Amino acid sequence: MKMILVAGFLALSTLAAHAEYEQVNLTVFGMDCAPCAHAIHVSMKGIQGVNSVDVDLNTGLVSIKLTPGNSAAMRQFNEAVEKNGFTHKDASVLVRGQLSGSAQAPFLEVTGTKDRYALAPLATGTNLTGLFGKTVLIEGTLPQSGKGKVSGTLRYKSVTEAK
Amino acid sequence: MKSLMVLACAVALTATAFAADHGPVFSYATPVNSEREFSFDTGIFGRNGSRGTQFSTGSGFGYGVTPHLTVNFFLPATFGSGNLPESRIVSGSEWSAGASWRFLHSVTSVGKRIESTASLGLVVPGPQQDSGTLNLHRAPGITGTLVTGMASRSQYIWVGGGYTRFAEASHDKRPDTLSWSAVYGYRPAGLRRGYDQWDYRGFAELTGEHTGAVRAGGLILPNSSSTTLWLGPSVLAIFKDVAIEGGVQGPLFRDASESIYGRERIRFGINLSYLKYSSHTSSH
Repeated sequence: MKMILVAGFLALSTLAAHAEYEQVNLTVFGMDCAPCAHAIHVSMKGIQGVNSVDVDLNTGLVSIKLTPGNSAAMRQFNEAVEKNGFTHKDASVLVRGQLSGSAQAPFLEVTGTKDRYALAPLATGTNLTGLFGKTVLIEGTLPQSGKGKVSGTLRYKSVTEAK
Repeated sequence: MKSLMVLACAVALTATAFAADHGPVFSYATPVNSEREFSFDTGIFGRNGSRGTQFSTGSGFGYGVTPHLTVNFFLPATFGSGNLPESRIVSGSEWSAGASWRFLHSVTSVGKRIESTASLGLVVPGPQQDSGTLNLHRAPGITGTLVTGMASRSQYIWVGGGYTRFAEASHDKRPDTLSWSAVYGYRPAGLRRGYDQWDYRGFAELTGEHTGAVRAGGLILPNSSSTTLWLGPSVLAIFKDVAIEGGVQGPLFRDASESIYGRERIRFGINLSYLKYSSHTSSH
């Protein structure tokens, strides 16, 4: 019984520390009609780990919520836009990952994927000291990237230690 | 006539499909399929004139090879005869296959695109014999179109043209055809809704065609060339992956020999589309 409890605790700990995207809000240009939005919806839902997708045609905002434990990569979201002939702009993300590097050159590694971002603050005042080596939850913006590419920089609004 | 219409509709509805790109009914437009998207369309087109009514049904398939390159083929069938001039705007009984390349794609804002698409295709005679004036030995032809325009949440504008040239068969030659179109579309503010609701838009479609002279037995048939200009409304309704569109056109200008072709009065079309989008994504 004790062993089961320990195993269960360890499994939960691993899940909590899993690096992943929790939410991605992507601005998409070029969608004029309902089938455009439906195509985006189908493509996004085809990505493993995507829980729900909402598309607002009038603002171009595609809101993606992901399931815990997913390993979806940012490149997959961009590809889902590109394959339908549209253009992705900035994306705001809520992402969990491991903080590495130094205070001068911090990095976020989304370890479940190959995504690694240099971190830059959107505003001054966020102190990263004490968070290095830990799993953190970051809310921030990924600037627009070229076709087939993902921005290497994540501009963070907030960084907190993941619970 | 009623039984003919019922038969034509039945064939149209059970046929597998032709891609009208869920846009205007008669005019050229720029949209192509998404990557790995299949489109299945089926429609019925009619041309009524003083010598009768000719229906053609079209079933077509399109597949998006890349986000900007679509291959397609089209299998039509005709019913009735109106002894009407050649037309590439309203399909006849030619089978065709080709590719459309959206070579210009500029996304300027949310919901707005400026784009240009070129198409090249091969047209081959189907198993049906054309009737009336065009009861000729038929040979394959090549067709090319070029269209440019703008799509947005509120308005659509496309201008395009096409040219079809047929080869000669046993000293007969079908007329080369030059076609052109201009279309304006509008979606009222109240209908710019969410994608999980029906999406409607209306079009005003202006189309024109010039057909060259018919050559039969090596001789040019006098007064067999024609030039016509048509105008009319169409409506498109879409729900997610299903679209239905219909339109009608009347003549603005006709320069066609009435002794050969009679007097064409009206054109109409209805098209159903099913769009099968791909959920395939690469793994990271």
